[in-house]
Amino acid sequence: MEKKIFLSDKDMPKAWYNIQADLTTPLPPPLNPGTGEPITPDMLEAIFPMNLIEQEVSTERFITIPDAVMERLLMWRPTPLCRATALEKLLGTPAQIYYKNESVSPPGSHKPNTAIAQVYYNKISGVKRLTTETGAGQWGSALSFACNQFGMELKVYMVRVSFNQKPYRRIMMETWGGKCVPSPSPDTAAGRSFLEGNPDHPGSLGMAISEAIEDAVTSENTKYSLGSVLNHVLLHQSVIGLEAQKQLASIGKYPDVVIGCAGGGSNFAGIAFPFLRDKINGKEIQVIGSEPTSCPSLTKGRYVYDFGDTAGMTPLLPMYSIGHKFVPAPIHAGGLRYHGMAPLISRVFADGLIEARSYNQIETFSAGLIFAQTEGFIPAPETNHAIACVIEEAKKAKEEGKEKVILFNFSGQGTIDLPSYDAFLSGKLQDYSMPEGEIEELLKELKKIA
Amino acid sequence: MEVYCPQLGMLIGFDYCLKAQNGLPCSNTYGCWKERVDVAAVLKANFTDEELAKVFNTVPKSRLERIMESVSEAGRKK
Repeated sequence: MEKKIFLSDKDMPKAWYNIQADLTTPLPPPLNPGTGEPITPDMLEAIFPMNLIEQEVSTERFITIPDAVMERLLMWRPTPLCRATALEKLLGTPAQIYYKNESVSPPGSHKPNTAIAQVYYNKISGVKRLTTETGAGQWGSALSFACNQFGMELKVYMVRVSFNQKPYRRIMMETWGGKCVPSPSPDTAAGRSFLEGNPDHPGSLGMAISEAIEDAVTSENTKYSLGSVLNHVLLHQSVIGLEAQKQLASIGKYPDVVIGCAGGGSNFAGIAFPFLRDKINGKEIQVIGSEPTSCPSLTKGRYVYDFGDTAGMTPLLPMYSIGHKFVPAPIHAGGLRYHGMAPLISRVFADGLIEARSYNQIETFSAGLIFAQTEGFIPAPETNHAIACVIEEAKKAKEEGKEKVILFNFSGQGTIDLPSYDAFLSGKLQDYSMPEGEIEELLKELKKIA
Repeated sequence: MEVYCPQLGMLIGFDYCLKAQNGLPCSNTYGCWKERVDVAAVLKANFTDEELAKVFNTVPKSRLERIMESVSEAGRKK
């Protein structure tokens, strides 16, 4: 039995897989919220180069990976496919658990798979500078690494609360030459307007998006880059599943279950979409997206018509009622919808090709701890959602006495997220009620700010 | 007391969630804090019905919709 299955450099996939070619129902174009009209490729040209927009709308099944991109990906790809033997032993499961270790990239996650490609396509389009936003910095650091590889300037707007509390990602960005500023910043009109209201504004992802886009639209030779949600991002991530297919085939295996955490959708799509192609073509395989219970997009969401549209423009809306206490139901909870579930994930979910599970933060950190104490690697908190699902499936296999092959995407490592583990280990993340006094203190603080 | 914010990817306090959207609550506040705080009561005590409806009774925008809105906004400032 092999613990790790490698692919040689020459066996790395030469093309990305585009699931749009195989969808039974084509993906509808998203609507412009201002006009209610479909967003057209030329509207996207203000922020993206045309070659990426072409990929966004392409229905070509395979798109060749350019040599210059391949050269950079080969720095850490093909990533190893590992068998989680110690985890299997601990669980006493007959299941064989394999994980695609995407944490071996320089920034420590799957994100550079698309960052490298995006920077390349911008570069050959004559773009000199990119902007982006980042929450805790995972995307910002991946893009900074990629920009460094191609000699591209980068400015990252990092949510201020994160900028102040999580310096290590910022330091990574700066180490690779990217410029990282706290958002809201005085550098854009949007940022200045937020700061006028509150000079100590902690920022939000929405504000950082506004700043990054304003910068891209108003600066010379500058475009914007996004690390999740969009079709071309998911396309670039397909290399994960394509490699896994080859690696499993090399040992005569095929997965019964494929699992990934579904946040913005890119790492889930990366592992899942090449296998969904098999499923569309008749293969029996279970594909599961795993998400937080606190902001469920798939498990609690439902497909509804948005903006009164009846022409099939149906983004997935996460909706659940929080009761009738203060506003009429239904209450719409933003969740990963705001965080941004990819339309392609919504589509395959609505088509019944994938299923979804949700786990609370205690379950996910417990799962992450079990993984760290068996397989050694400390997972990123997002990755823990997938591991929680893997453990559940492995236990189920034990109950059923089935020798299932489970494959999951180990999307990132968690050494920069150690404060979260510290909070979990010290019991601060336990679901207990906040003392009344503490709530009152917070509310006083809130009134001061308001 | 903090929770792990799946949006920002870090630990965050209740006070941040209550004012995360330009002084209005993050639309995930209920889901993230319901085990620890009577979120509904806190929100009702501190925000008007109109403010709450703005956050919780409107369809949340997708990332692409948000981006296109920012593009239009930035285009006007250009």
